[in-house]
Amino acid sequence: MAAAAATDATSAKHAVGVRVEGVSKRFAHRVKGEIYAARDVTLDVAPGEFLTLLGPSGCGKTTTLRMIAGFETPDEGHVRFGSDDVTHLPADQRNIGFVFQNYALFPHLSVGENVAYGLRVRGLDGREVATRVTDVLTLVGLAGYEQQFSSQLSGGEQQRVALARAIVIRPRLLLFDEPLSNLDARLRVQMRDEIRDLQQRLAITTIYVTHDQEEAMAVSDRIVVMNQGRVVQVGSAEDLYHHPQSRFVAGFIGRVNLLPARVTAIDGDAVELDALGCRLALRHAGAALRVGDAAALVLRPEALEIVRADDARAVLRGVVVARTFLGEKVEYRALCGDVPLQAIRYNSGPADLVPPGMEIGLAVNVDAAAVVPERES
Amino acid sequence: MASKASAGARAAGAGLARDPALAVTVVLLWAGLALFVVYPLAMLFARIVVDQGHVSLAGLGGILTDRHQVRAFGNSLLLGALVGLIGTVVGFAFAFVAARGRLPLWLVATIDASVLLPLISPPFTTAIAMIFSFGPRGLVTYGLLGVKGFSVYGLWSTLLSEALTYFPIAYLTLRPILAAIDSNVEGMARSLGASRWRVFRTVTLPLAIPGIANAFLLLFAASLADFATPLILAGNAFPVLPTQAYLQITGMFDLRGGAALSFALLVPALIVFVLQRYWVSRRQYVTVTGKGAGQTPFDSMTPGVRAALLAVCGGVTLLIVYFYALLLYASLVVALGANHAFTLAHYRTIFTDGAKAIRDTLTIAALATPLGGLYGIAVGYLVARKRFPGRRTMELVSMIDYALPGTIVGIAYLIAFNDPPLVLTGTALIIVACYVFRYGPTGIRATIALLAQIDPSLEEASRGLGAGSATTFRRVTLPLIAPAFFAGLGVVFIRSMTAISATIFLISIGWTLITVKILENITELSLGPAAAFSVFVVAIVFVVTGAIARAVRLFRAPGATQVASLLGG
Repeated sequence: MAAAAATDATSAKHAVGVRVEGVSKRFAHRVKGEIYAARDVTLDVAPGEFLTLLGPSGCGKTTTLRMIAGFETPDEGHVRFGSDDVTHLPADQRNIGFVFQNYALFPHLSVGENVAYGLRVRGLDGREVATRVTDVLTLVGLAGYEQQFSSQLSGGEQQRVALARAIVIRPRLLLFDEPLSNLDARLRVQMRDEIRDLQQRLAITTIYVTHDQEEAMAVSDRIVVMNQGRVVQVGSAEDLYHHPQSRFVAGFIGRVNLLPARVTAIDGDAVELDALGCRLALRHAGAALRVGDAAALVLRPEALEIVRADDARAVLRGVVVARTFLGEKVEYRALCGDVPLQAIRYNSGPADLVPPGMEIGLAVNVDAAAVVPERES
Repeated sequence: MASKASAGARAAGAGLARDPALAVTVVLLWAGLALFVVYPLAMLFARIVVDQGHVSLAGLGGILTDRHQVRAFGNSLLLGALVGLIGTVVGFAFAFVAARGRLPLWLVATIDASVLLPLISPPFTTAIAMIFSFGPRGLVTYGLLGVKGFSVYGLWSTLLSEALTYFPIAYLTLRPILAAIDSNVEGMARSLGASRWRVFRTVTLPLAIPGIANAFLLLFAASLADFATPLILAGNAFPVLPTQAYLQITGMFDLRGGAALSFALLVPALIVFVLQRYWVSRRQYVTVTGKGAGQTPFDSMTPGVRAALLAVCGGVTLLIVYFYALLLYASLVVALGANHAFTLAHYRTIFTDGAKAIRDTLTIAALATPLGGLYGIAVGYLVARKRFPGRRTMELVSMIDYALPGTIVGIAYLIAFNDPPLVLTGTALIIVACYVFRYGPTGIRATIALLAQIDPSLEEASRGLGAGSATTFRRVTLPLIAPAFFAGLGVVFIRSMTAISATIFLISIGWTLITVKILENITELSLGPAAAFSVFVVAIVFVVTGAIARAVRLFRAPGATQVASLLGG
């Protein structure tokens, strides 16, 4: 993306905070009758923050975003921009920038006219419109594209036009609905960096919806994990990854071994577990547990270290069943008794590879492990 | 589509030499097209320009400079433009309410059903109802308002009747277009600060423009070709071309003059055809589909606007329902307007005096329907998926009779098959051929449209699994184009039951048609039997197309936008 000098053309005057209070939305469903698309959703977005709603499809993230945008009206609850209650304000009076997954460019208008649309609606004079269109197109790296039509553009270019059109009106709030899903993998990584970079420079409060946890971790200040219409957990990427509070979050963010465990002792925040016949001591429990509770031990693949079977650090023993060579790292699948485990090792040379069939020991980095309740609350 | 078709041709990978079945089919189809499309039109043209062995344009010039005929030409254009305008506006209102009104499903179904009524009715239906309502003894003019000597005949009644008959074409053309507009695009405009009205003006309407132009052209062409309505309602004060051509032939026994008049219809009809094919079709906006497309429709209307539009559509729907109820009532009383005693006499009449017409019509429909359906998928499949010499020409030629007003086709058949080498006048074959080549193209269009959406890789996959060309066609392609086949069947059947403009020139003592019988009844002022006949036809068509639609959802098939071709009888 282009020169920082262009930023003043679009910079938000002052970032606004967003508060979503106990918002619910029901839809009529052909088979299931009435279903909740969003259920008692509460969010607090700080001014200038980049917040991501993350979850599987149908979790209510898009519905929540559309209620913030004003495309849907909540059945219950309130949406506030700063101190303004906008719950029943129509979308055209909210002054927001929205970027759709399918870009939603006006197919009958050129790139320039697409970007100018919101400015014309605001009654700006022709010269001001032209200047701001040129500036914002330069900002997104599409200088000189004014006369093109969306059908002539690549997916990435269309995405930039959609972005330019959303920010040129200097919105109070920038909303993204899975903006990168239609792009190929390489472009997706490039665009997400550009979006993050732009958001930082413009300092616009941003709410971003995605089902891709890696994308969410890459762009966000904080992530809201949603499932079945509800907010499950809110936190930074590190927080969610290292301290999941449910099996769902542990499984959804990153790759994981979830092993059945039982709580044997609790001492303040520290907890002792029995898992796969071994005793493990974790320094932080994270979730609320009681002695005797069934729990699930959260072991990330990189928290399992493959060592010799006779190594003193080996807590578990197993057999390597498969190996995937990925260059900088190697993924192993091992069987520990009848429990499958995945482990990752960073590649330190050809001599270091462990062949399938080999008996190994597994050391556990307890600092990178977590424990969650067996059942979802 | 062209690229897909050529890809398909490559996929099929069969030249004529390597595929004898293909070669035979192509030759047979060309023979049929040459005989029943090209030959009659050539004969029509020859009759106009050849005078006693010499090429002369004097006859054509004479009739085309006649002041009365020039007026008829002008009237035809005026009527067509007005029907196009009013029909498109009403059709748009219906389409907009149905696509965006967030109406309950049962209400949309009700609108659909009542709007389809005019499309499947014999051509005089609304005209008869107009006479019942506004004629000399009309329920409204005479009975309700007590007006004496009120004239129902002229531009306004023809216009009202045609607009009511044809606006469903606009509705069926525009509704899928409005429904296909990505609601995110409109939502985007709204979030950029535009009001509902501004979104409509700057986004919705511009995106619908190609569809609106298409609807207008279809209605214009339908009105231009309409023969039945002006014959009943236009009267002497408002002559139009198709009826003038008919009167020239049947009244003045001037075949050449009638041919020349019908030829004058050709020019606007061709202009419409070319505009549709080469202008409108290039201007359809393709929206990128992805998540979001096809979710809840954009909330276009304030409650007030919605109520107003619903009132308009409700009024029009009520008018249609009123007309058909009136028709049913008139078929069940002795004489509407004079004696309202219940009787089944009119039905007795049509099943005794009219029995031959009913039998003939059903026989011809039973022959034309399967032939027309097969012809439609045969040409459609060949044109879309096979490569052979003259492929594009075949597609174009197959569309000619479909695009031309029925009057031209009827007169051309009359001229071509009245004399050796091929005398078909007086046979059922001439009527069947007319229906097959005039209405079968609906199936062609539907098949091509359907195949354009089906990736040739499906057929390649079948070939790759070891199935031969014939097996692939039978097991993969045929089931996929079945909806197009049934759409074609339905249209040929409906038209076989209701058409008149072409076939009125082709009936004989041996073979007659219900529609012609209705016309005779109207001219003899026996409106009761005319109403009974109309009710009978509507009922049959409803039952048969209902059965077809139930098997395959006829009007939801990808060829559904071609439902427009229901018209033009």
